[in-house]
Formats: sequence, structure tokens, C-alpha cells
Amino acid sequence: MLHVENLTVSIGDKRILRGLDLDVRPGEVHAIMGPNGSGKSTFAHALAGREGYDVGGTATLDGADLLEMEPEERAAAGVFMGFQYPVEIPGVNNMYFLRTALNSVRQARGEDEVSAREFLEVAKRAMQLVDMNPDFLQRSVNAGFSGGEKKRNEILQMAVMEPRLAVLDETDSGLDIDALKVVASGVHALRGPERSMVVITHYQRLLEYITPDFVHVLVDGRIVESGDSSLALHLDDHGYAQFLAVAPGDEQRSLAATRS
Amino acid sequence: MTTDSLTSNVVLPTKRDEAWRYAPHRTLAELSFGPPNGSIASVPAGLLDDIPVLDGLCVVVVNGIVDVGRSRLHSLVRGVTVSSRAAALATDRAASTPGDETPSPTDAYVVLNAAYGVDGALIEIEPGVVLDEPIHVVDISIPDHLGGASCARTHIHLGAGSSATVVETRISAGSGFGGSNVCTLVSLDDGAELEHVVLQDLPSSQVHLGRVEVDQATRSTFRARSFNTGGAYGRLEYHVVLRGPEASADLAGLYLGSGEQVLDQQVTVVHAAENCVSRQAFRGVLDDESTGVFNGGIDVRPGADGTDASQSNDNLLLSVRAEANTQPRLEILADEVSCTHGATVGRLDDDALYYLRSRGVRAEGARRLLIDGFANQIVEQVGAGPVRAWISHRLGYRDDG
Amino acid sequence: MTSQSPVIEELLDGSYEYGFSTDLDTDIAPPGLNEDVVRLISAKKGEPEWLLEWRLKAFAAWQAMDEPDWAKLDIEPIDYQSISYWAAPKPKPTLDSMDDVDPEIREMFDKLGIPLHEQKMLSNVAIDAVVDSVSVTTTFKATLAEAGVIFCSFSEAVREHPDLVREHLGSVVPFRDNYFAALNSAVFSDGSFCYIPTGVRCPMELSTYFRINSQNTGQFERTLIVAEDDSYVSYLEGCTAPMRDENQLHAAVVELVAKDRATIKYSTVQNWYPGDDNGVGGIYNFVTKRGRAHTDAKISWTQVETGSAITWKYPSVILQGDRSVGEFYSVALSNKRQQADTGTKMVHIGADTSSTVISKGISAGHGRNTYRGLVKMLRSADNARNYTQCDSLLIGKECAANTIPYIEVKNPTGQVEHEASTSTVGEDQLYYCRQRGMTEEDAMAMIVNGFCREVFGELPMEFAVEAQRLLSVSLEGSVG
Repeated sequence: MLHVENLTVSIGDKRILRGLDLDVRPGEVHAIMGPNGSGKSTFAHALAGREGYDVGGTATLDGADLLEMEPEERAAAGVFMGFQYPVEIPGVNNMYFLRTALNSVRQARGEDEVSAREFLEVAKRAMQLVDMNPDFLQRSVNAGFSGGEKKRNEILQMAVMEPRLAVLDETDSGLDIDALKVVASGVHALRGPERSMVVITHYQRLLEYITPDFVHVLVDGRIVESGDSSLALHLDDHGYAQFLAVAPGDEQRSLAATRS
Repeated sequence: MTTDSLTSNVVLPTKRDEAWRYAPHRTLAELSFGPPNGSIASVPAGLLDDIPVLDGLCVVVVNGIVDVGRSRLHSLVRGVTVSSRAAALATDRAASTPGDETPSPTDAYVVLNAAYGVDGALIEIEPGVVLDEPIHVVDISIPDHLGGASCARTHIHLGAGSSATVVETRISAGSGFGGSNVCTLVSLDDGAELEHVVLQDLPSSQVHLGRVEVDQATRSTFRARSFNTGGAYGRLEYHVVLRGPEASADLAGLYLGSGEQVLDQQVTVVHAAENCVSRQAFRGVLDDESTGVFNGGIDVRPGADGTDASQSNDNLLLSVRAEANTQPRLEILADEVSCTHGATVGRLDDDALYYLRSRGVRAEGARRLLIDGFANQIVEQVGAGPVRAWISHRLGYRDDG
Repeated sequence: MTSQSPVIEELLDGSYEYGFSTDLDTDIAPPGLNEDVVRLISAKKGEPEWLLEWRLKAFAAWQAMDEPDWAKLDIEPIDYQSISYWAAPKPKPTLDSMDDVDPEIREMFDKLGIPLHEQKMLSNVAIDAVVDSVSVTTTFKATLAEAGVIFCSFSEAVREHPDLVREHLGSVVPFRDNYFAALNSAVFSDGSFCYIPTGVRCPMELSTYFRINSQNTGQFERTLIVAEDDSYVSYLEGCTAPMRDENQLHAAVVELVAKDRATIKYSTVQNWYPGDDNGVGGIYNFVTKRGRAHTDAKISWTQVETGSAITWKYPSVILQGDRSVGEFYSVALSNKRQQADTGTKMVHIGADTSSTVISKGISAGHGRNTYRGLVKMLRSADNARNYTQCDSLLIGKECAANTIPYIEVKNPTGQVEHEASTSTVGEDQLYYCRQRGMTEEDAMAMIVNGFCREVFGELPMEFAVEAQRLLSVSLEGSVG
């Protein structure tokens, strides 16, 4: 479904991704883990179409070339990105935002728009999923939301948009354990045979609740190791040090760290 | 002092000039200007005793002429020059005298100052020198019974990476009409850091016109702390140009009006480079029939992206006949800017008064406490400890810092 | 407003949809202004002597005045002698019923989306249509008359209700007030008059629709609204003009009188032709709007200003009576080469008076947007309150936003709060919306509408929808 081959991204003079390969089949959940600065978020934004990236290689969704598309076209194609830092839009009502988004995507696909009433039903169901208060929909998009509320709002949007591919960028960052559980159960509920997910995270914590089919370790712009969910546990115990370029003299220490 | 042709030729501002909207134009028209008469006027005994001497370097300027006898010009710190501008001109150090060419909007009083301000303090700090002790410039105008206003011109130049504190005190003697018209030209090289404190405390029969022009290079820092309390009309004007990227200007001021005083603050900060930061925070406490004016502008020039500017003006009216006029202006010609401003005018908070009184503080004491608290928020922004203590004392406040 | 509307298609190319002109048989005076022209206007309208005298005094005052200093505006000098001060569609002898309205005029208003035929109309909005300088029709007169409400053209009011007009004309905006008010007082041709008797809540929204049609003419209309004790009226005003290469002058005066406990809500959606991308053509919109609020009365101005090459207007409230309330809600958008200098004056005279000012300025393209406002509290205004919030939004690198508030407080019990902010439409906001499937234009429109939400909330429903749509159209071409 998602096919990524030799993906490179530079921002200005800086090379962030240096040839990333990834294949995700329908219904699969892939976790991408890695240390800070390894290019995890850049990968997510490269799929979503952030401007200012110099992108090379291939990324297709169901055979369609994502890299040629505008961000909104990718959304219509079924890409949903959960932002690490959801953007605040003062004055724009959450519900209105979401309905406009949904209808834009439906319109682009040649589907009928949903009526206000239909939408309310959809939204209500989604709200229950992330355990949110109804007055939430009447507030401005992310403005004045707590970190946890913002993340829940991302999952709510995902539930409403029903994407083909969800890319969740550090959805667990800044969440306390209760919020994490809510978010994780939301994600879990949205898993399905036709929906794939790429879950980007620094810690294994989130993966306790969302068991991935595959775990990839991203270091320095490349996937250096892939495995099943046990890899995440290993990483949690041993850190990323074993994958980092080891400076001469540091070898002993990093080996020691791996063993301990 | 006599009025010569220049005075009669310049066109004085009127109420229609935005920057002079609330000024007492009739009173201003009475002032006369001329070259300093060359001899140091006699300073009444005890006048300087009123100014607790700040240990260290000081320049005493009397009617526009540096009084070398009363000044302490010799610095023990290498790379610090404190002198008379006129003397420096005579010894040809003038070539390096900065500021004279600073282009900025001018008015009649700036022209008069430039014409007659032949002397004043010259302060030069060489690159990298960090001077801890404050330099004090005391400007004294002695009325001449002809309505003369003295014109001094202070130059401050900080070399790259240097740092200093300069305090300017403007005072006068007697109850006659007259005043002072002082310009300070500041230029800060890359990374230089200046704290500049002005205390204006002329008698209420006189007029003070003070203008500070600041030119800032890359990553330089200018901190202004102004205390405008004296004069029938007391005016402090700042024109700051952030010319180099990442420069920062932080201006705070307090004006305390009583009687029929008009205290006028005119502030313009020009963001002419990227990623500069500016803050303006001015507060007025206005009693009796006094009038406070704050006209503060943030001008963001094209290309000054990443500007972060804010401005606030808060006024306390203590009497039914006091008046506050505030005009916080924003002029934005760039993208990617963040500018905010706010202004308030109000009186003492009844609930706070009541709260204090319910705790046993007498009404007058409670009032005092609240006013002091309001004003102290500016006083405590003076960075140099001894200067803060002195200002606090001079204004009759506690120094909690 | 649904997106199926065929008009939308036309809108999407960002053109000015009201830019057509209609060939009406027009009675037009030769260009130029002198005392004879003033007399001619008055004679054409068959005015009483007192009104002619008033006009002549205004004309004399205007001649002695200086044109205002344009501060933040770039403006070509206006040649007042090249403008025609009287242009009117030649009327049929009488306009007793709607069927008498010239079919061409009716068609023009249909094109504008404002059917003048009562059966086709939006229910509950009475419309007075003014073309060039003359009121061509007023709808729903009978329904209003039942309630005792007078809503008619200014000329008709002069004929039918001379005492009311004479009592209030110039009582809020004296002809000496400013240059353009004096000009208007001398040459005004028509406008709307509205009178709400004591205790009456006007049964429907009243609306005036202004249209400049002729070339080389100025439009100088005058609106007077008098709301007697305990009455209520909501009034809407809309404006469009054809696309023309020369600048056209619009200098209107609006006076509102709200007697004790009366409420007047005055909403404007101004969409005069703004000129083209290079700043050629467009309306010079110089308007004096002011209301006087008596005891416990309330005057609320709401404006959405998206048109005109230059807008210069400060809808104001004189808070004369104790506990009177003044409000000003404004959205002003300057795109292309448009310049807007707008704001309000709130003059607090009575005790316990309060005012609220919410201004949202949007600058895009080469637009220049200035908020200029005055909040004044006189010695008599015990416990007066003001809250002002001025926000500016910048879109693009070539535009400018200025905020110039004047705050003058002479009473220590007064409380003034002024807040302002300037922000830009963030790249990250646009990206976020696009990731959720919206086009860049839709995202921009949504963000800008969100920015203006507090103001749109003050508009009557039909106008709020119209305003949002106008804003989106006016922003066309400002992204990317």
C-alpha cells in the first residue's frame, strides 16, 4: 500500500533523510523509533507534503505518487498526519474546521458532502472514542488546549477523516499516563484491515498499548534495523547507543551500556 | 542668554503636530535660546548636596557648559573616557564623536539644541571594556530671568562588546522661568550593552525638553529607565533605531505628575533589521490637575522579519482633575512580526484598598502602598543596584530590590 | 449561500462581480461646484427655503475649510470641480407602487441579488434602494406604517415630515464638522430617513442599498435615523459600484439619534469597487457616521469594509446620557492597492457610560490598513468604561498595518483598557489545514474568518454570510 524507496530529504544544505526504504501493507501498523534528530518527524512531514523540503526517491500510496501531490491532495488520497505540535487556529470553531476538512476531502474524491446532522453523528462517535467533552467541538482549533487535549483532538480528527494511512508523529509526547491510555485506545479502535498506520515515537511507552506489527529503528536518516514488536522492548532496555556512530574511544563505554 | 535670529526663524511645533499634541504651546513659546554665555554660572550652594553623590565618574554641566571643577573626569579604568565635548573638539578628538549625523525626524527644539549645544558630556567606552560603576551626568540649568533654556548635548559611544551604566540627572535652581533642552546621542556597536537612566526633576516653574537618540548595531542592548517628575512641562523623548540584527531595546519609564504639570513621553522604536526585540513599559501616576502623555510607537520597517515588539502604558489617576492621554502606535511594514501593545487608565482598585484596610492599614497608608506598588514596578527595573536605591530614595519609595 | 450558486464560479477568478454598469436614462448636472449648483440641487428636489439656506451655509463653510491632511493615505488630489454633483435616473412621474420602478433598475438590483419586488424578497427586510444620488424605491412601506415606523427616502421625508427632519438634521453631525461633512451638507441629493416612534420595536430589519452607477459623479447621500424613547431598530447598509478607471467620490453622512432607552444597531457591508491590481480606479469612500446616545440608550456600529480604493471613516458615538452604551465592531480588509483608515470615536460624557471597540484589520497584497480611534472621557463621565481590542493580520510582505489609538481620560473613575496585537497568517496554520484536505484558498479564508469571528457575530444572519463570502472573494489572489 505505502511504498517508500530510497527517500531522501534535505532542508537547505542539511541532509536529513539519506535513503529510507519502507513498505507498509494494508492493515499493518509500523512503529518507527529513533533518537532525537534522526529524521523521524521529517519522514512524517515528507509523506504529508510540508513545503521547503527538497525530496528525492519514491513514495507511493496505492500506486499513486505522493511526492507529486499538494498536501491537500495527499489528504484526499487518504494520508492523515497526526502532528507532534498541532497548530492553533484562533477563532475557528473545531467542529466547523473538521466538517470543512471532511467535506473538502469528500469533494476531492467526488463524494457527496455530509450534512450538518450526519456530521454531528460522526463527530459524536469520534468524541466518545477519545473521551472528550461535547463543548470541545465549539472551541477554537487547538487554541488554549492543553497538550493532552491537542493530541486527543488529533485522534478525533483521524477518527472522523477515516484515512487510508495514518502517520502519527510523536503522538505520545507530552502526555501523562491517563491521556496516553485514552489516545492509545483511540488509535487501537481505529485499526482495521484496510487502514495502515505509521507510528513515530521516541519511547516504547506508547507501543505497550499499540502493538505494532513491525518496528524500525531510524538513525541518521536511514532505517538501520527492523524487527517485530520485541525490538521495541530491546530498545527500551538498551537505548539507541548501539546504533549510533561510535566515536573512537567511546567504544568501550557504549558496549558496556549495551551489556548492562 | 539672548534670543538671536535662529530662535525667531525656526518654526515651533503646534498642536497639530502629533508629537506635540498635548504640549503647552504658549509656555513653550516663551522660552528663549542662544549660545552659552561662556562663563560658568554660579551654582547655588547646596544644590548638588541634594544629589547624593554616586561614587565614581561624573560630569556636571551648568547652563550647557561642562563645569570641570565640579566634575570627576578621570577614570581609573583603562578604555573609559569621560570628558567635555567642547574640550574634546578642541583637541580634535571630535573626529570620532559619534551621533551627530544620526538622521531622524527633527523638530525646532532639536535644531536649536544642535545649534547651541556646543558642550556636554562625552563618554567613550572602548571595545570589550566592562565598566561596573555608573557614570553620572548632572545637567543644571540656572534661570536667567529671560526665559532662557540651556542646551547641552551628551554623546555616548560604546565599542563592540563593552558595557556601561550612565545616569543623567536634569535639575535646576530657583523658581524663575526657564529650563533645559538636552539631547543625548547614543551609539552602540556590536554586542555593546548600555543601561541609561534619566531623572528629570526641574522645578515646576520650568520646562524640560529631553531627547535621546539611539543607534544600535548587531546584538547590542539598550536599557532605558526614565523618571519624569519635574517641570511645568517635562518631556522625555526616545528615538531608537535597531539597525543591526538581533539588537534589543528595553525602555521603561515612570512619570509622576502633580499640580498642573504636563509630563510627556514620546517614544519611537524603529525595527530596521531582522530578529530584533523591543519592549516599552511606561507608567504614569497623575495627581491634582496634572496631565500625563504617552505617545509610543513601534515602527517595523520592510524586511524587519522576526520582529518581536511589545508596548504597554498604564496610568493611575489620583484626582478628579488629573488627565491621561495615551497613544500607543503600531506601524508595521514587514511580515512575520509579533507586536502587541496595551494601555490602561484607571484609578486605585477599590477592592485592594478595602482589602488592605480590612487588614488594619489606614486609608492613606493603603493608598500610598498601592501607588508605591504600581510605581515600584518601574523603579525595580533599574539594573544597577546603587542607582536604583538612589532613585527610590529620591522618589520617596522603598527599595525592595 | 450554498456552493452550488452559479455566482461562485464567477467569484473564483477573484473579479469584482458587481462591476457592471447599467444604461439608465440619467439626469446629470454638468461637472463643477458653486452656489448655483447647490441651488440647482435644492430646486430639483423642490426643497423648502430653510433647507436651501442650510445647504448654502454648509457650502460657505466648506469653501473656508482645508482638505484634511492625509496622514497615512496616498491619494491623488481630488478635483472637486470635475465631479458632477447631481445624477439621477430619470424617474417616471410618480412611484406609487413597485410596478412603477423602472424595469432596468429592477433588473440591476436583481443582478446584485437584491430583488425589489416584495413577493420575491427576503422576508423581514425592508429595502430602500439608492442609485447614484436618488432613492428609487422603498419596500414594505405599508407593513412598517402599521407599526408607525417611517422608512422612506430623505427627499420624501423632507416633503412629508419636514418638522422631524428639521429638528434632527445636523444635530449630530453639524455641517461644520469636517470637510466632507460640509461638502455633503451642501450637495447631498438623497438618502434614507427612518423614524421609530416611542416604545416601538421595528418589526423588520431596515436596509438601504447604495449603488453608484453613473460615470464622473460623486455620491453624497445622507441617512438620518431617529429612535424615540424605548424603541429598537436594526439597520443594514450595503454598497456597490461599477468598475471604472477613474476614482469616484463617495462622501456620505449618517446621523443616528437614540433617545432614552432606545437601541440602534447599524450594520454596513461596504463593497464599493476597490480599483484594479495596479490601483487604477475605485471609490474614494469618505464617510462621517455618528450617533448620539441619550440616557440608557445604546448605539452599535458594525462594519465590514472590503471595498473602496480609499476608506476614511470613523463611525462614532457620543455617549451623552448616563448609562448609555456605544459599540463598534469592525472588519476592514485592504488588498491590492487599497488603503483603509478607519476606526471610531467614543466620547463619554454621561456617568456610567460604557463603550466596546473590536477592530480587526486585514492587510494583504499592497494594502494598507490603519486603525485610528479616539476614546475620550470627559470630567463629567464618572465611572465610564471602555474596552478596546485592535487586532491586525498581515498576509504577505508588501502590506502594512498601523494602529493609532488616542486615549484621553479626564476623570479618575474612568477605566480604559486597550489591547492590540499584530499577527501573520502562519505557514504552519495553512499547512495544517491543507494536511486535512483543504485547498490553500479555503484554508486562508477559514483562518481569516476565524480572525474576524467576533465581528461577524454582531451582524444579522444574512449579512454575516454575505460578509464571510465577500472576505473570501476579496482575498482571492493573496495567497501563494
